[in-house]
Amino acid sequence: MRQRALVAIAAAIVLVLAVAASLAIGARAIDLGTVWQALTDLDPADPEQLIVSTSRVSRTVIGALAGAALGVAGALMQSLTRNPFADPGLLGVNAGASLAVVIALSTGIATGFAAQVPLAFVGAGLAAVLVYAIGARGAAAGTPVRLALAGVALTALISSVTYAILLVNDSTLDQYRQWVAGSLTGRRLEDVTALVPLVLVAIAAALVSSRQLEAVALGEDAARALGVRIGTVRVLVIVLVTLLAAAATAAAGPIVFVGLAVPHLARALVGASLPWLLAVSALGGAALVLACDVLGRVIAPPGEVGVGITTAFLGGIVFALMARRMKVVEL
Amino acid sequence: MRTLRLGPLGITTHRRTLAVGLVLLAALAAVAIFALTSGQSNVTVADALRAAVGIPVGAPADFIVGHVRAPRALTAILVGAMLGLSGAVLQSLTRNPLASPDFIGISAGAGTGAVLTIWLIGATSLWVTAAGAITGALLTAGLILALSWRRGVVPLRLILAGIAMGFVAQAATQYALTRMDVHDAGNALGWLVGAVTGRTWTHVTVAAAMLAVLLPLILWHARSLRTMEMGDDAARALGIPVASARGVLAVAAVVLAAGAVAVTGPIGFIALVSPALALRLTRSAGVTLIPSALMGALLLLTADQVAQLMPSTLQFPVGIFTAAVGAPYLLWLVWRASRGGPS
Repeated sequence: MRQRALVAIAAAIVLVLAVAASLAIGARAIDLGTVWQALTDLDPADPEQLIVSTSRVSRTVIGALAGAALGVAGALMQSLTRNPFADPGLLGVNAGASLAVVIALSTGIATGFAAQVPLAFVGAGLAAVLVYAIGARGAAAGTPVRLALAGVALTALISSVTYAILLVNDSTLDQYRQWVAGSLTGRRLEDVTALVPLVLVAIAAALVSSRQLEAVALGEDAARALGVRIGTVRVLVIVLVTLLAAAATAAAGPIVFVGLAVPHLARALVGASLPWLLAVSALGGAALVLACDVLGRVIAPPGEVGVGITTAFLGGIVFALMARRMKVVEL
Repeated sequence: MRTLRLGPLGITTHRRTLAVGLVLLAALAAVAIFALTSGQSNVTVADALRAAVGIPVGAPADFIVGHVRAPRALTAILVGAMLGLSGAVLQSLTRNPLASPDFIGISAGAGTGAVLTIWLIGATSLWVTAAGAITGALLTAGLILALSWRRGVVPLRLILAGIAMGFVAQAATQYALTRMDVHDAGNALGWLVGAVTGRTWTHVTVAAAMLAVLLPLILWHARSLRTMEMGDDAARALGIPVASARGVLAVAAVVLAAGAVAVTGPIGFIALVSPALALRLTRSAGVTLIPSALMGALLLLTADQVAQLMPSTLQFPVGIFTAAVGAPYLLWLVWRASRGGPS
């Protein structure tokens, strides 16, 4: 208990540091005093304070939101499937949301961010149900390889449709290629703030129902013996994962591996206790996305590397190392 | 069981495998003739065949067949064969039907190598791009092997490491895409889906050259491959130099996949599906190289014909069509495996 609380506090401190770095570091380094002034008592005449209050604050909020959502979504998926390789990006949930957004961009049925978000939810939800039905159910259910392959196959199928739409529509392509790289700069803050309460409610719901989910993770018989309604919990978790993954994708584009690496690391620190795991994953996910974004800003001047690229790069390596450490029977 | 001999190359084959090979060859010839003769303007079979080999027959056919249809069809045939062969070798080496270059990150690595050569050194020559693709694929393969090596290689761990490296390679490719100008990026994206449109005789030459070197090399080791499917110990007992044979075959399969990517972009699922279909048709106990290659050629050429027959608003690269057929197949494989069937 004490160690878990310490880990949570440490994660919160790391997040605060990441937020500070995200506000201060960039093409133009701004000292923290000016950042503080911009946040508390904005002087519109100072260009540095304007940079902070317009662009840096918005990308920090978006990054923290997407990271927390993905961290919790990943932790929920891993508990539900009892599979350490579950990640909304890897399993095609983000791809489903992307496809829905691309359809919206190209057909013009939903111009504007507010109309695209519900579509992203529909796309993510369909993909989540499909991949769960194919990869995580049945007699020899959900070995890591199977779930990962089901996700890869579903992603390939969905993205071939996405590419097909992009190839006949040049203007969509230009918007999309920035968006797909996972960028925190493509969205306006006003649009994304609508997602904040949604993500917070979803995380709260996950925390409240985490005891039931823990029981399901013990196995169906144990859960039934504890009086947990398995079907209801499963549906709830899939709905929450869909909401969180789609909100993250709508805000920041498809980001892979945050939902994989963060809960994995969190589990090593706080153990399997789900409420702690969810809390630490939310804090850690937000911190990781912000850190990756800051890294992407400074790594290749004068340009920037999209946060989705940085996370895929780092996360891919984490994933490979995890696969390396597993015993043969666990595969 | 009978043995076909051609100089030092002896191929022991079942009657059924031979028959399947001949049927596939006939089907391939039929689709190829269809590909050469039909389209916006129809050309007679005799004219098409003559124009394809460079004998002048008159105004429209010389250009349409000689410069458009023939290189396109031949590219599809050669690349399909390369993919089918590469998939067959990899699936046999790992003893796993899910191992194909497009899922274990090899194609993604080749794509990264090619895109980086286009972006960084402004390569316009296909030979340079091909060299970049091969370098990228070999580096990726080396990394996958290093990451999954733990006192030997377990196929499932290799597949997971491959999926991971595929993501890393894709991230690198996407980074390059956001840094290129939008015109190049559009072209690169079209290429990354996998297409055989607008291919020239240079593309055919590159593909043919690689196949001409690697096909004999793989066939030379075919017996080792088949013996190794029985297990390393059995193969060693039968006098097969397991380590060296496996190394040569793995490199050959990776280079074949990389060459295919360089010529047409990463066309998904052909390498996964062809060996499985060939296996089902021949009812052979182990991998069948030549039928897999023929099946790959037939599948890609047919997919390209389907792509051409689509109405003008739905003109997509052939990679879209192979994914539309291949991805449900892979999902079905996974679904059946999780129902406790044979994986």
